[in-house]
Amino acid sequence: MLRLQGVSRRFGAVHAVQDVSLEIPAGQMLGVIGRSGAGKSTLLRMINRLAEPSDGRITFENTDITALKGQGLRDWRTGCAMIFQQFNLVQRLDVLTNVLIGRLNHRRGLLAHLGSLFAQFSAEERAAALATLDRFGLLSTALQRADTLSGGQQQRVAICRALMQNPRLILADEPIASLDPQNARLVMDTLRQVNRQDGITVLVNLHHLDVARAYCDRLVAMQAGRVVFDGTPAELTPARVEQIYGVSEAEFHGDMPEAAEAPLFPVPAAALA
Amino acid sequence: MSTSAAEIAAWRARMPRAFGPSPAGQALRAGAAALFLAWLGLSLWHFDVTPQRLWNGLSGLLVILRLMIPPSPGELWMDILKGLAESLSMAFLGTFIAALLAVPLGFLGARNIVTNTLARFSVRRVFDGFRGVDQLIWALAFVRAVGLGPLAGVLAIATADIAVLAKLYAEAIENAEKRQAEGIAAAGGSPTLVIRFGLLPQVLPIMIGHALYFLESNTRSATILGVVGAGGIGLQIAERIRVRHWDEVAFIIILLIIMVAAIDWLSSRLRRKLIG
Repeated sequence: MLRLQGVSRRFGAVHAVQDVSLEIPAGQMLGVIGRSGAGKSTLLRMINRLAEPSDGRITFENTDITALKGQGLRDWRTGCAMIFQQFNLVQRLDVLTNVLIGRLNHRRGLLAHLGSLFAQFSAEERAAALATLDRFGLLSTALQRADTLSGGQQQRVAICRALMQNPRLILADEPIASLDPQNARLVMDTLRQVNRQDGITVLVNLHHLDVARAYCDRLVAMQAGRVVFDGTPAELTPARVEQIYGVSEAEFHGDMPEAAEAPLFPVPAAALA
Repeated sequence: MSTSAAEIAAWRARMPRAFGPSPAGQALRAGAAALFLAWLGLSLWHFDVTPQRLWNGLSGLLVILRLMIPPSPGELWMDILKGLAESLSMAFLGTFIAALLAVPLGFLGARNIVTNTLARFSVRRVFDGFRGVDQLIWALAFVRAVGLGPLAGVLAIATADIAVLAKLYAEAIENAEKRQAEGIAAAGGSPTLVIRFGLLPQVLPIMIGHALYFLESNTRSATILGVVGAGGIGLQIAERIRVRHWDEVAFIIILLIIMVAAIDWLSSRLRRKLIG
């Protein structure tokens, strides 16, 4: 159980996240939705402590996350793996090494640390990395450089790296925002599979409501740093979206519904006559 | 995360390269490492580098350091200031001449300007020839040619740097964006004007940046040219070392460090303004 109590984050006078309280039971797939700038990213990054909360407490199974530092903080970060919009793979390293990076914090002691500096991984770790890659159909890319892969492949390699961390939680920050629809579906399916098969809690930031409804058990909507909706996908009807955001769902996605009604270049009636 | 030995063996059989380089690759690596170590060992042995000699050298150095404290300007401090000013002027003049002459030469050496392979190839090889000779050699030659004094130093700095700068300029020109130049050609510009408006605005900040780097480095190297009689502070240092006035040498070194730091600071600010 991950619990957020009155979590806020201020940047100067701007409230990126304001007084957010949530309880997320283990094994849930939670979608955080909202337009860009609503505070979704900051919220996720605070859970991983890549951003520091200005106020409030985050606890995970009676551990105070907000108070962690040093090795304790690194252990927590290993336990809640992060997936980024731009994948954040090391482009010049091969896929296998990128996945093995997920094991770094599992190796303890000075000698193991020294081995890590020279990128020395054990046969067991290598076999486990290959098995993870194989599970998501990426085995053939294992020895390729990360920058030779497509965006969708890179994001799934990032998920493999996350799984190698052996996490309790996966935080995915707009994982499909830079992907085409087909790759987006593949990545979302992978996250869903990880959630269902491995029982890992998944928190995913999305800005597309249809995707969020299709994949998540529970949706949290944010606006201007506040949680404005918390319920099941079925409860977030188009009518409810309009009520919350004051715009229709099509407008929420940045489409222009009025363009369908009125032509972009109105032709004077006289010219048609 | 536990993987059984059998599973590991299966993965190793299926994808051996994931568990380390192939035998041929391993042999190659070992061979390269052996060659490198042999070269290192041979050089050390040939020059008779022993801990004993290093230790003795260190104590010799300490004696010099002790003689340096406290630094003193001596009686001829006007000569020191004059020498410093001369070194700085030599560096400035030499770099300026080199940077100016390297511009046309750089264009001649650029693939996107001179499309004739043979012409470009010969220009590039001439650059290489000039680059192969060190500044100090040029200084010795020019001292014989134009006599002792700063002129020899200026010419040495200019000749040694023209070729290097021309090569750097040529590379900057080759990396310039073609589309911008195409815009000038499409507006009816002559080839000269295409270079003037399509290429020069792109490469000029890079060229000036390189020239400023060379000014920095030449301020340092101009100090040594005086040792072979090519003017500047080097002569003052050499004379004082000969008569073992180490305290005055220390004074000159401190002034040099201040001067070089000032030039570095100034040129890095200029570079950031121009490129940023």
